[in-house]
Amino acid sequence: MRERQDLIAGALLGLAIGDAAGWPSARHRAALLPPWTRRLHRELDAFAETEQVTSLPVPFALNQPTAPLRLGPSDDAEWVAWTLTWLGAASKPLTRGDVHERWRTAATNGTLPRGRISVAAAADALRRDVDPPVTGHDNPHHFDDAAAVRAVAAGLVADGSGTAATLAGWDAEVTNAGDGVSAARAVAATIARLVRGEPLATAWAAAAAEHVPPDTLLADNLARAQVATAGVTTAADAVPLLDEPAGHVYSYGVAAAQTLPVAVALALAAERGGEPPIAAVTAAACLPTLADSAPPLTGALAGAAHGLSALPTTWAERCRRLAGCCAPDLAGLDLVELAGSIEERTIL
Amino acid sequence: MRDRARGCLLGLAIGDAMGAPAENLTAEQIAARWGTVTGFLTDRPSGTDDTEYAAFSALLLLDHGARLTSEHVADAWITHLAGQSGGFSGAGFSELGTIENLRAGLRPPASGRHLHSWSDGLAMRAAVHGVYAAGDPLLAARLATVDGAVSHDGEGVHAGVAVAAAVAVAMTGNASAAEVGAAALAAVPADSWTARSLRSALVHAGDVPALLDAVVVRSYPWTDLAPEAVALAFGAFLAAGGGFADAVTGAVSMGRDADTTAAIAGALAGALGGLDAVPARWREQIGPVTGRCLGEVVAGLHPLDLADRLADHLEDE
Repeated sequence: MRERQDLIAGALLGLAIGDAAGWPSARHRAALLPPWTRRLHRELDAFAETEQVTSLPVPFALNQPTAPLRLGPSDDAEWVAWTLTWLGAASKPLTRGDVHERWRTAATNGTLPRGRISVAAAADALRRDVDPPVTGHDNPHHFDDAAAVRAVAAGLVADGSGTAATLAGWDAEVTNAGDGVSAARAVAATIARLVRGEPLATAWAAAAAEHVPPDTLLADNLARAQVATAGVTTAADAVPLLDEPAGHVYSYGVAAAQTLPVAVALALAAERGGEPPIAAVTAAACLPTLADSAPPLTGALAGAAHGLSALPTTWAERCRRLAGCCAPDLAGLDLVELAGSIEERTIL
Repeated sequence: MRDRARGCLLGLAIGDAMGAPAENLTAEQIAARWGTVTGFLTDRPSGTDDTEYAAFSALLLLDHGARLTSEHVADAWITHLAGQSGGFSGAGFSELGTIENLRAGLRPPASGRHLHSWSDGLAMRAAVHGVYAAGDPLLAARLATVDGAVSHDGEGVHAGVAVAAAVAVAMTGNASAAEVGAAALAAVPADSWTARSLRSALVHAGDVPALLDAVVVRSYPWTDLAPEAVALAFGAFLAAGGGFADAVTGAVSMGRDADTTAAIAGALAGALGGLDAVPARWREQIGPVTGRCLGEVVAGLHPLDLADRLADHLEDE
């Protein structure tokens, strides 16, 4: 049982560390500073373009508190913690209707954390009395990984991998459809298997076989990433091979069919070489396009496979507390304590 | 039939050129800058990607007719488009996503599965399938699906199918505007975003704020969503009762992806009313395609000439 607790905490802290490692984290956390600091940032960006200088602005505090800009987790860790919080408070067993109702309540009473385009579009639809799954289907970013990230929570609380996938699917269909939902189901099932001690390669293979339909962009990109990195035994070596699957046409790098294949490929590459989870996570942060969510997904997988005890203390100590940059109510929440409070949920 | 084919393709080109300056603007910005839209917004209007991709799809129909396959389409994209160096002027995410996929060796339908498979890039070119399949919305839908599988998936294909089927019905010359709208809706799965968006267009046609509020996703920064674009196009077409000038200017004045929505509205109204429905002063402004977006393969083609060639087999039968 002690080992299970270690693996659960490893998933959460691995995710938080990955969240912190990607460059977008500082931009998300800068939301805690007054808006004028971000306006000046945009002006400095324009200045660099006009003056043709290569000094690019970074989020800065000027005369404001610097704490928000320290290395630390941001949106993805807060979304998983928010999901764990309401899952933990729910009367069990949970139903599909309970899950959808929780979303509608949060969207209408204004307590939904700041989130991706898929989340904002779904929240808008919920407030117009549109019901899931239409809120996730008629959604311009139905393909993104917002639900796949939240699915880590379902994987941690569910009483088995099947329950995890079902629960994650109910949550995912509020904001996503197609690959966005498949990715969530696969992540939840994988995490549920990992915290029960299964090795990463078999846990992922079983979850993917069950939850990723063939002939989808997600399935194609998973295969592509796997083929590209098959001969590589360190996560760092795999990074340049994953630039192609990352894609550079679209303006946002958060499609589940981009980030999950990269996260899986890097976690498996590190696994093959006997590298610790942090090697996979820091490698994921080296693909700038996907640096918002590929690192946290990588960290959740590798962390759940090896536990908190396999994560560097330096990172874990720095990343265990939430900033509240997307969910203000969660500011200061300790993820290690949250991991310790997780109870199994059944569903109806 | 030739007359309605000409009205359709010329209508598409006029809508494209009239909407281009208003692309990505809001209805308020357009009203502030130009007042009530009554015609072209610039002295030298020019067509964009909508007309050029429609011309490209027309060439495929002229080469292969109803035997067109997605393999033919993919080969043509590779031959004429994927080899171009540099960017693709005027193209959207879906076009470059497709070209990247084709360059990587993917074939349809995998080539159409990218992050913008639901863009309005098929809807903007699918009127030609309706012209070729005049009176046969099922054939028009099938041809649009075949063409679209190369570059789109899901809602992107549905929206193209809606336009193709509606144009096929408009081409008969004995349909009402409402029947044309109904044909679009009948051609797509009832439980699709495109169908829900088209139903909003039917309900809110004539009430611009209500239509925009119903179909525009505010938290998304781009304007290229196919369900939204066809809803705005059909909304303008229906509010005008199928009348050409009001359909096109109505679409332009709503902004968003205005060149595409106005091109679709113009194609619908032109097919319904024929060439005579198109104001002469607008007709004169449309010349051959420049090839600015797609290059030599379409440069010099005139919409009227393409219309005649697409209608040839209709006259024979």
